[in-house]
Amino acid sequence: MSDLDRLRHAMRVTERPGATVDLAAVMRDGRRLRTRRRVAGAGAATLATGLVAAIVAVVVGALPDDPRTVERPTQVAVAPPPVAVPPTASHPLGPTPTTTPGRGEPSPSPVGQIVDSGIRHGSDQRVFYVVQVSVPGEPRVTIGLAAGRRAPDGTVTTDLLVNDVEGADRSPGFHQIGYDSGGSGAPVPTFGYFVGPAQQIIGTVDGRQVGARLARWSADKQVVIFWFDPAKLAPGDKLDGIVARDGSDRRL
Amino acid sequence: MARGDAEFVEFARAASARLVHAAFLMTGDHHRAEDAAQTALARTYASWSRIRDDDAYGYARRILVNHLVDGWRRPIREYPTEEVPEQRRDDVADEVATRRWLTAILGVLSPRERAIVVLRYYFDLPEAQVARELDVSVGTVKSTSSRALEKLRSTGERAVDTEEACR
Repeated sequence: MSDLDRLRHAMRVTERPGATVDLAAVMRDGRRLRTRRRVAGAGAATLATGLVAAIVAVVVGALPDDPRTVERPTQVAVAPPPVAVPPTASHPLGPTPTTTPGRGEPSPSPVGQIVDSGIRHGSDQRVFYVVQVSVPGEPRVTIGLAAGRRAPDGTVTTDLLVNDVEGADRSPGFHQIGYDSGGSGAPVPTFGYFVGPAQQIIGTVDGRQVGARLARWSADKQVVIFWFDPAKLAPGDKLDGIVARDGSDRRL
Repeated sequence: MARGDAEFVEFARAASARLVHAAFLMTGDHHRAEDAAQTALARTYASWSRIRDDDAYGYARRILVNHLVDGWRRPIREYPTEEVPEQRRDDVADEVATRRWLTAILGVLSPRERAIVVLRYYFDLPEAQVARELDVSVGTVKSTSSRALEKLRSTGERAVDTEEACR
């Protein structure tokens, strides 16, 4: 038996079939974690006390020759029914104070201008906006991207928030992609942001290419917010790949 | 119990023993291994609505391995010699000897090397998938794996020599 075979054999024969974990504790801890994510979403979204957002952390990784494919597990906390909050589009640009749940700090607000996607849900507009977030142990993650709905009276309801959970939120390339998880009052188009001079963003699903719509973040033009028309890419459908191209049609 | 919860319980029952053992191979500590598996499963449950129709086991495995690589820096511990768990196998002496050999050879590896060895040779994952799960390049997996195997060979030879000398 070779060394490698012996190693494989040893790793298998030492399995303890009876080894189990405390499932009640697992589920209790999992529920707590889910709740913490919701609360973190509320604080990070800097929108309003009581606002709870879903946090999705899907990191889209790079492959050298093929369209980018999703490489990491998704971490999701499904939001309860969203809460409407006062309009925030008129808030000043620039950083807003980071709020921590329970500290009674000022209500959070979007950073920069709210982007109107042109998509309508009845009389509501589908909007996207950057918010400040705080991830423990990750000082270079300070922003996340939220999908929300703006009512005719200007109130904004957050449906989904995506943010990095490690690394740097301004590193070049794709960051997170938010997928509808069925937890909000209206389907959320697939959305995310790219850092760099992207002029086109193209997703691939089932061998079909779908172009995204783009808008640059008012506070940092390197941040390109993108979303897919729900008529072309059904909300919740996972992309098989995604690429960005510059004005010369060069892949970024 | 909600349908999702029932599905998760079924999944956790099926996956927990293997996850615990993988964690044990990476840490050499039964209690730490159970804690790590519990953490991985709790995080999996927190995201269950999203992943239950996907590769839930792969998700739990990735959480487990990265949790241990990031959080476990102490060297692998010896097995308590008095602890002989329930076994299906007849030859307990062989079992204990195998465990000691395994402990000795895995104990010389760094956390990342152990992770790669466990993913490659316990879970039998291809190099590309190991690279994805640990967020490193395939080249890093190859070089680390090769280095780890070299360490295992030299440690294995010493372990055999020591064993024979004790007889």
